[in-house]
Amino acid sequence: MGRYIIKRLLQGIPLLFFISIILFVLMMNMGDPVATMGGRRVTRASDYERLRRQLGLDKPIYTQYLYWLIGNDWTKTDVDGDGIAETPGTRRGVLRGDFGVSLVTRKPVLQVIGERLPNTLILMLASEFVIIVGSLLVGVYSALRQYSVLDHIVTAFSFIGYSMPIFFIALLSMYVFGVLFKRWGLPYLPTVGMFDPQAGKTAAQVLWHMVLPVLSISIISFAAYSRYIRSTMLEVLGQDYIRTARAKGLPRREVVYVHALKNASLPIVTVVGLDLPLLLGGAVVTERIFAWPGMGRLFLDHVSRSDLPVVMGILMMIATAVVVFQILTDIVYAWLDPRIRYEK
Amino acid sequence: MNAKRFAFNFVVVMVVFGFMLTACGPKPVPAGPSTVGEPSSVQPDQPGRKVATLIYTQEFDNLAPLYTDMWFAWTTWQMFLHWAWEFDEKNEPFPRLVTEIPSSENGGVSADGRVITMKLRDDIKWSDGTPVTADDFVFTWEMAVSPKNTVTSTYPYNMVETVTAPDPQTVVVTFAEPFAPWLATLWHGILPAHILRPVYEAEGTIDNAEWIKNPKVGCGPYLLDTWESGSYARFVRNENYWGNRPILDEIFIRFVPDDASQVAALQAGEADLGTFIAYSDIPTLEQAGLQIMTEPSGYNEWMFFLVNDQVGHPALTDVNVRKAIAMSIDREAINRDLLLGLTKPPASFWDALPFYNDPPLQNYPYDPEEAKRLLDAAGWVDSDGDGIRDKDGIPLELDYGTTIREIRQDVQAVIQQQLAQVGIKVNLYSVEADVYFASYGENGPAATGQYDIQEWSDGPLFPDADLYYWLCSEIPSDENPAGSNWFYLCDEELDALIQLQATQVDVKERQQTISKINQLFYDKVYILGLWQDPDIYAVNPRLKNVRFSGVTMFFSIGEWDLEQ
Repeated sequence: MGRYIIKRLLQGIPLLFFISIILFVLMMNMGDPVATMGGRRVTRASDYERLRRQLGLDKPIYTQYLYWLIGNDWTKTDVDGDGIAETPGTRRGVLRGDFGVSLVTRKPVLQVIGERLPNTLILMLASEFVIIVGSLLVGVYSALRQYSVLDHIVTAFSFIGYSMPIFFIALLSMYVFGVLFKRWGLPYLPTVGMFDPQAGKTAAQVLWHMVLPVLSISIISFAAYSRYIRSTMLEVLGQDYIRTARAKGLPRREVVYVHALKNASLPIVTVVGLDLPLLLGGAVVTERIFAWPGMGRLFLDHVSRSDLPVVMGILMMIATAVVVFQILTDIVYAWLDPRIRYEK
Repeated sequence: MNAKRFAFNFVVVMVVFGFMLTACGPKPVPAGPSTVGEPSSVQPDQPGRKVATLIYTQEFDNLAPLYTDMWFAWTTWQMFLHWAWEFDEKNEPFPRLVTEIPSSENGGVSADGRVITMKLRDDIKWSDGTPVTADDFVFTWEMAVSPKNTVTSTYPYNMVETVTAPDPQTVVVTFAEPFAPWLATLWHGILPAHILRPVYEAEGTIDNAEWIKNPKVGCGPYLLDTWESGSYARFVRNENYWGNRPILDEIFIRFVPDDASQVAALQAGEADLGTFIAYSDIPTLEQAGLQIMTEPSGYNEWMFFLVNDQVGHPALTDVNVRKAIAMSIDREAINRDLLLGLTKPPASFWDALPFYNDPPLQNYPYDPEEAKRLLDAAGWVDSDGDGIRDKDGIPLELDYGTTIREIRQDVQAVIQQQLAQVGIKVNLYSVEADVYFASYGENGPAATGQYDIQEWSDGPLFPDADLYYWLCSEIPSDENPAGSNWFYLCDEELDALIQLQATQVDVKERQQTISKINQLFYDKVYILGLWQDPDIYAVNPRLKNVRFSGVTMFFSIGEWDLEQ
């Protein structure tokens, strides 16, 4: 297994390299970060040329990629525009852990991402937890009580949730539980942000403000997960070894949760393994609507300003996470199913 | 289960679920120190604290002067960093850090208009107790023009020859040439020399200085306490403030990028002030009891015509075609129906500066029949019966591009229909702002002349009358890839007038020059006003003493009060 993991990790390196080239080229053609500098007017010609030079945007694309990858501290740049490269570069490059400086906030990319990542993880892990636990409970119950009234009700709710766009669920829940409940004099939920300024940023406040965003995210994903678990459970429950286990007189609980669920979990692990790295990217729509300061909003805000260092940082982080989580998924596979072996 | 019963059950379940959720909420919130994130110096739970919550639909990228040009940074500067002079609700200047506005009458402006002498108050100080002196102004100019600093813009400091400080309370600014827009453009915030000069001397740049990223020392009524990226910024009262004691204890800015969410938060009473309010949301907010306040900011929405037959459509080089377009669009109806009658179509580029729109221009009337006659007379007729006019085999088919802002796309669709009725075909384009406004060098669609008609919101250098886009020297090319004359128009008379007004320091003479440009724009229909684009705020009635300016938006923030 150890050799297998090392082999997969080594395979991931050229993959990430090619991904970085493709993303860099795409990003370079997505807009002009100096066009307005966030202002309401177009940047003046004299400022435009100076800023492109100072930010290194006047260099050919391959030079910019090289600086991004390995840094520019081995060379000098022309900062004052006199045509002579006089200022030693300060960037160390991604390979040495320097993702550069945001063109928008002038802060280091890792700091910019580091400020947002915990918020996204709080929101997304809570949502994933609710989704997995809820869908396991419902999926297993529906499989065991196939075609029961509750199975029909849950199925109906699942499809209602699945078929609604998340922005609609988010805005509707905000309006009902935040605006209307307050208007009707009922206990109400907060609409936006992570805490109430009068109360301060306490853990209780953050949890309280998470309710609606987590609810919105969960409703969308809950349906797919629960239906998936239901169908795999139904398939496994019809297998011979389950019948054998029952015939041996094993308690029902053990048959369902030890023998059936463990085997039914294999496809679920695949789905969760694919979903987990994407959690790092945050929920773009939900974070925007609930003003949750996570990675999704960070990505959106900085893409709209063509902030290449930050966007590349986020995308490479997600790409790396996808590679790592795929390896982890394979390991969990082997643990769940003893028949799976990656080495001879 | 029938559909009615199912719907009833669904609602019941949702309501019960809502009760369950809301019933277990933290009410009242337990007192105690912050447990998440950066510790704040503020004790938010103190009863009776006056905390005003403001919603910003965009987060400022930076708060240091010279390092940002965002509207939301301008509004925030008035909290912690005064300008030398600021502007009131009538957009009239008043002295803030200076004893009086420099003028030729008080000797503050030299006869040739090149030298501005400012007298500073002797009681102004930074929040750390250090006096604000002329040295801070000299240092600010030095940093603006230093090639080692990545400032957003060196304008107008690059027009300045020297800034000197004969004594701690006197600043002398000498321009290389007479410079008319000095009052509107100089000293939008100053840098604390006592904090940043040592950094500059050590590092050769202030780009990475802590104060640039987190300007916690200021000279305004409030001070930056905490700024959490994407979430909020908290400003607290400056206990060392040299002016009148600010009334609020704290100003809490929450970043809410979604318009609908901002409306919901305002309706729920979770915010005291909303910004960048969309016209379509105004009735809802008014119904919820919020007060809508508008302030002219010099900006209006314009159609800009590309007048160059080498780059654009040849029809637009004919003034009668442009005039026909103006008369084919029912701009009054657009303002009435799409903008809820809250705005009017501006006739003048200086619509928000009536002093320069004198005598006031009258809009071209909506008269499609006269437009058809003008087009016929210009030789653009429908010769092949396909419903589109043509001339010399060239169809009158125009490309019309703008950004993806919703109201713009709505208006585009209406204009397309109205122009079709007089035989002009219009192809619509809408792209993201950072793509739309990309330069010629970056192959921006507007800058490279891909649109015969361009649309966005713009105006003079408000509250100054200056303009420069239409200079012949600003036409983009391979040699001038950052040129801003995306209309490829080189009108020698207009060019000379624009250059002249920028150097005229005599108010009356400048007014006459601007008036000539105003009339020329109108007669030659180089631009067409669609709607006035003021700043729109939604204010909770419990927030008192609120006044806005179109330049220094929150100039009166020290006087704002909150009804508990």
